[in-house]
Amino acid sequence: MTRKGKNTARLALLNAAFLLLCLVTLVPVLYALSISFSGQGAALSGDLSFLPKDPTLENYRAILFDRPFLLWLKNSLLLSAGTIALSMTCAVPMAYAASRWRFAGRRGLLRALLVLNAFPQVLSMFALFRVLRLTGTLNTHGGLIVIYAGSMCVFAVWNMKGYFDTIPREIEEASKIDGAGDLQMILRIVLPLARPAIIVTCVMVLITVWNEYLFATTFLLNSESYSLAGGLYQLQSNDYSRNWSVFTAASMLASLPLLLIFFKIQKYMVSGLTAGGVKE
Amino acid sequence: MKKGIALLLSLALCLGALAGCAPARSQPSAGPAGSPSQPADDSKGPVAVTIWHDGDEGIMQTIADQVNAQLADDQITVVFEKKTDMPNQLKLYGSDAANAPDMYFYAHDVLGTFTAMDILAPLSDVVDLSILSDHLSMTVEAGQIGGVQYLLPVYFETLVFLYNKALWEGDIPGTTEELYDYMAAHTDTAAGTYAVVNQHTNAYNVSPFINGFGGYVIDESGKPGLNDPKTIEAAAYNQKFGALQADGDYNTVTTLFNEGKAAAIIGGPWLVSGIEAAGIDYGIASLSDIKLPNGNGLAPFSGIQGAGVLKVALAEKKDAIAKVLTAMASPEVGVDLANKSGCAPANNKSYDDPQVAGNEMIAVIQKTASTARPMPNIPEMNAMWSPAEAMLTAINKNGADPAQAAADAQAAAEQAIADMQ
Amino acid sequence: MKQKSRWKPWLYCVPALLLILIVIAFPIAYTGWISLTNMNLYHWTDYGFIGLDNYARALFKLDSGFLSALGTTLVWTVLNMAIQIGLGFFIALGLNAPGLRLKRVYKTLLMVPWAVPAYISILLWRVGMFNTEFGILNKLLSALGFAKVDFLAGNGIAFLSCMALNLWMALPFMISTIDGALQSVDGSLYESATLDGAGFWVRTRSITIPAIRPIIAPAAVMTTFITFKQFDIIYLLTQQRGYMTGATLNTVITYAHQNAFASNNYGLSSAVSMLLFVVIILFSILTNRSLRED
Repeated sequence: MTRKGKNTARLALLNAAFLLLCLVTLVPVLYALSISFSGQGAALSGDLSFLPKDPTLENYRAILFDRPFLLWLKNSLLLSAGTIALSMTCAVPMAYAASRWRFAGRRGLLRALLVLNAFPQVLSMFALFRVLRLTGTLNTHGGLIVIYAGSMCVFAVWNMKGYFDTIPREIEEASKIDGAGDLQMILRIVLPLARPAIIVTCVMVLITVWNEYLFATTFLLNSESYSLAGGLYQLQSNDYSRNWSVFTAASMLASLPLLLIFFKIQKYMVSGLTAGGVKE
Repeated sequence: MKKGIALLLSLALCLGALAGCAPARSQPSAGPAGSPSQPADDSKGPVAVTIWHDGDEGIMQTIADQVNAQLADDQITVVFEKKTDMPNQLKLYGSDAANAPDMYFYAHDVLGTFTAMDILAPLSDVVDLSILSDHLSMTVEAGQIGGVQYLLPVYFETLVFLYNKALWEGDIPGTTEELYDYMAAHTDTAAGTYAVVNQHTNAYNVSPFINGFGGYVIDESGKPGLNDPKTIEAAAYNQKFGALQADGDYNTVTTLFNEGKAAAIIGGPWLVSGIEAAGIDYGIASLSDIKLPNGNGLAPFSGIQGAGVLKVALAEKKDAIAKVLTAMASPEVGVDLANKSGCAPANNKSYDDPQVAGNEMIAVIQKTASTARPMPNIPEMNAMWSPAEAMLTAINKNGADPAQAAADAQAAAEQAIADMQ
Repeated sequence: MKQKSRWKPWLYCVPALLLILIVIAFPIAYTGWISLTNMNLYHWTDYGFIGLDNYARALFKLDSGFLSALGTTLVWTVLNMAIQIGLGFFIALGLNAPGLRLKRVYKTLLMVPWAVPAYISILLWRVGMFNTEFGILNKLLSALGFAKVDFLAGNGIAFLSCMALNLWMALPFMISTIDGALQSVDGSLYESATLDGAGFWVRTRSITIPAIRPIIAPAAVMTTFITFKQFDIIYLLTQQRGYMTGATLNTVITYAHQNAFASNNYGLSSAVSMLLFVVIILFSILTNRSLRED
């Protein structure tokens, strides 16, 4: 009895703690949500309240139809898909090679990649501009995809290699006997087994592309070709006093896709993330 | 299920391979910025002249409408494109013939930086400078570096005193001390209601005090004046005003005024469209009518907004650009800007228009222009904004000793200028 | 056969290496080259080789601001990581408490900040939370009868504000990782320990922590690097031009960025970048070593 009572009390306390924690966590989001449904007047001010003043959908209408929001969304999806495809195409073979074969220079190579990856990208902007200019890919999504893919490639290699390390070789040996070629075997046997790592790596790449605004607004010149983050950055740039409510509506819409994806991938989170693979 | 994933993956791989092979061509829709006419021959076919800016889109539209109307017969159109942080963008793209704009539109203070980088063409290479003969000499001179004209002045602006007629009680004070007394009596920081708000940590917005006290941010020879005794005096004097002016960042003060929580704001014509949208009945007063304790009127910086020509554009569009410049210099552009956006035209002839002559905002700006000081346009100015802002922030927000803050900022500015070489 | 197996691994590496060469290695090499030239405003296109002059100047600059920036960065990284892992651990433990029926709901709600794009989060906090006039925190203080606080003005309080935001943005990932790791711990271990009379804390210390440490280590290392390199939060909250808040906090990255953009001297700022790169390499070697000793 006492033990049961103690348990109930403990659970009640825990529930209260979590409710409070969730509330505190959600304050900024609730704030933005409330502003996004408010009429123009309530833009920045308003009293301490999470209920929108004169509720309206006007801000959502404005961002969806008066601004190239849908175009930006399309660009973001395109950039994400392109970056995921390119970075995975490049990273998976290397990760596989690094995981399966012991070749001269392998250790040094993997270490060198980590070191290179430590260089902060903000400081590479000027050089990347040169690269894009030289190849005539300034102001193209293709150029941006190459940059995004390159900056995520090291992470992808390490993460995928770490996961491949955990897949027993015997499974591959068996398929080799069936006469399958290397590529066929990777595609048909190894990749499906590495599903959690692939999903998590892709999502990490996706988040990067979804969030990135500096390169997007620097290397793309046409506001029609911006990604969501870039477009929103440009939309409010320095003067957001006028369209703060529209901006909050846009923020909510821009966050929605990632939120949905997170729900889907939660169960893969840990098994898929082995980045840095402490063991070699 | 597994098969599906494998299929999807191989599809992704193929897609990726494609993207990897042809990054340049994979995205035709993102094509070259703005200029549908590629290597355009001036003599035949329509020509689009691209102009980058980072200003108010309404103002740019007014200019574009007037210029395009004048040049319709020549089949020349100007296209304004807004770029966040335009000066930094031009540092990258300024010499890139494929993507650089043909012209840019900005205030005159970045001129020194651009000419040092050698990305601008002197206007005389493109057009006869007689198009400037009717322009106010202050605006023409602000567009020169080393005696060479690089900027076509279109309009100019200064800070003014904007007040909410429904909230302001009595007359606008004639001295800063009276103004302070009014502020002290009518400000309730806890309730969030203010008498006067200003971006009190921004060197541009504090320039009325700095210049009025006889101090300076930087002189013509490129010597920073942040630790000049007069500048320090001004910054110290500004502090007590800052204490009653809320946070002082642009969005905060603008919103406070637009929502009727501040009775007055020190700002420029660029605020007017927002104020009108908020439905506020506002009045305008000249800062030069408000006298400092030393008897000088407040003396803000003035900014001359205008257009410059990029060197790389000359090869293909020289004649079209000449026509655009000529049209921009015409009094009609000034008249439209004045009537639609409250900008004070650089062309003296624009003031012959009765509506312009009767415009309250323009009258006030013109009056202030007599004491206003054009912002320095030497390249070193570019390195001054951050140290000056750091100094004012330290004094106003962290209670730093003005002399100490000034010494630190002066050292930072001198370092930044030394670093330029 | 032998020939084939010697070259094949490298063949597999070619696409990735090519990509990394273009996007990561080239910019570093290019920065290294520019650091040896006098590329600045006055030699924008006609710059030339000047040797190690920029490094001499950059090293001289190091006493003025770089060392304190380095100190700030280290404190920032250590504090953030300690709180993130500690808090993340306890929240995840709580989520896994037996009998917590609403676990999925809580977890979902706690994940929300992760989905908000970083740049938007920062702006939301700057205006919606920290602003002296419109921010929720100050409205709350006013409602409770306290004076307004400028959360971004002094270095100390700005540091805490930046950290609060960083935790808000980074905790969901950490909670999610640790939560997953906890679920992978073999439940039978607990049962036998409980039978042996071990209490909650003993079980946590002797079973849970050793079991999850190797699982979360990679995520922790990754997050450490991200925290070390964090630029947007401090830059956008406190030092954007026209929005300086009075804090003079600098991490090594914001310091290098400030130097690059204030002076437009790309030669000099490239030298600063390269020195910074050396510091980061040292840092990563240290991190790796501490990991191995675990």
